[in-house]
Amino acid sequence: MLNTDFMLQVAKATIKGVPVTLEIVIVSLILALPISFVFALLRLYSVKGGNQFVKLYVSFIRGTPIIAQILIVYSAFPSLLASFIGKSAFAIDPINYAYIVFTINAVASLTEVFRSALQTVDRGQYEAGTMVGMTSSQIFRRIILPQALVSALPNLTNITLGLVKNSALAFIMSVKDITAIAKTEAAFNYSFLEAYLVLWVYYLIISYAAELIFKSLELYFGRYRKQVKKRHYSNKEQLISVTTDKRRSPAQG
Amino acid sequence: MLKIRGLKKSYAENEILKGIDLDVKKGDVITIIGPSGAGKTTLLRNITTLESADSGKIEFENIQGDYSALTRQETKKLRQSIGFVFQNYNLFNNKTALQNVMEGLLTAKRMPKQEARTEALKALERVGLLEYKDQYPVQLSGGQQQRVGIARAIALKPKVIFFDEPTSALDPELVGEVLQVMRSLAHEGTTMVIVTHQMRFAQEISNKIVFMVAGRVVESGTAQAVFENPRAERTRQFLAETLVQY
Ligand SMILES: Nc1ncnc2c1ncn2[C@@H]1O[C@H](COP(=O)(O)OP(=O)(O)OP(=O)(O)O)[C@@H](O)[C@H]1O
Ligand SMILES: [Mg+2]
Repeated sequence: MLNTDFMLQVAKATIKGVPVTLEIVIVSLILALPISFVFALLRLYSVKGGNQFVKLYVSFIRGTPIIAQILIVYSAFPSLLASFIGKSAFAIDPINYAYIVFTINAVASLTEVFRSALQTVDRGQYEAGTMVGMTSSQIFRRIILPQALVSALPNLTNITLGLVKNSALAFIMSVKDITAIAKTEAAFNYSFLEAYLVLWVYYLIISYAAELIFKSLELYFGRYRKQVKKRHYSNKEQLISVTTDKRRSPAQG
Repeated sequence: MLKIRGLKKSYAENEILKGIDLDVKKGDVITIIGPSGAGKTTLLRNITTLESADSGKIEFENIQGDYSALTRQETKKLRQSIGFVFQNYNLFNNKTALQNVMEGLLTAKRMPKQEARTEALKALERVGLLEYKDQYPVQLSGGQQQRVGIARAIALKPKVIFFDEPTSALDPELVGEVLQVMRSLAHEGTTMVIVTHQMRFAQEISNKIVFMVAGRVVESGTAQAVFENPRAERTRQFLAETLVQY
């Protein structure tokens, strides 16, 4: 049977890693969002040079396993830094390298997300904006961007969940996240299954919380996409057309 | 009020507009008719700078020049003095009916919020949608969306409003409500340039009909002249073909 006392002990020890895992996820996201947004714009507006660079960057990062990226950053950066600032480079908290890798990684996928999200807003709305006299930047800020961000949210959720899961690899860079702590506990007590089950539950909770947060953001900011349920139907036919046809509601007044 | 001379537009090697003249006077309701592919949509889009015409003179307000050489200022001025109602409504999906109408007042006209709201409510009332002011476009029927589109245009008090087939994306039973709104605008003296295939409606509300084929104006004149006494053979043929459906 499972040793529940030990599991509780692991749970207690591992909880210290939760903020570290969350930090990796949140910091990387916060750094990656603006960068990838700019990258997406460079692509969309075919900015000379920038467009090529971003294209290359994205296929470069997406075409290599994250573990390779971790190994490269973790072996290259400290010595690279050392050549500038000397030995103190090796004393830098390794979590900073985690931020770098996961940001680099998230930027690649987020760029594509923003690019397609910005394209989901049809050109007609842009034209309507110009015809009421709005400037391009007003249309972008007030019409296109808000809609693009909402349509990016589902993909943003997926990328965040991927980030949560990938952050488990940070232990390779000797970051003390939940995986690292659980591994240590497991090895110390020779109870691997128990420790990893606890770990599993932690990731489940974190992922679920992240999903919940994004879902509510989507509900709140995407409320303009929701058809309000009409409360009174004069006959069955109307009910059918309300549920099958998203764009038209037959109830007039 | 608006005078267009020799408007030309080509896509690649295809000349779609082969030199169009158009005169719009205050209070005019002009309907442009013609077979599919005649260039009606292209004409409206080029007049209104949604697309940049290759050449053609324009006189409007204090703008006097050629489409090929309009300055930024002139383009802006032009856009602010005209309205456009789209075939697909093109409402701002992230904004309520009221916000759709307020948007141009707030941004282009820089109106204070309260005042913009009052103006927008007036416009919504004119199209009969006051009680729908807080609905988002997805929550409105096609006919209602188009009426919001019209409200959005009239709220800015443009000198002339262009309509590109405002009812052709609508289910037949919703066409009437939109035409009714346009009819009342016409009676209130709104200057309008309309592209439509609704011939009866065109005949009823227009004081001038322009018949276009293959990028040229074949015939133009009063509704009565064009519909009842068409001069050109091509016009007669077109009217016979289209009116037979009624
Ligand atoms: N952006 C474009 N690029 C290339 N060709 C175009 C473009 N826009 C329009 N055309 C061509 O111009 C011609 C006229 O099109 P337009 O849409 O103006 O006709 P229309 O009179 O409005 O027709 P309909 O009654 O079907 O709406 C068509 O042959 C069309 O293929
Ligand atoms: Mg057309």
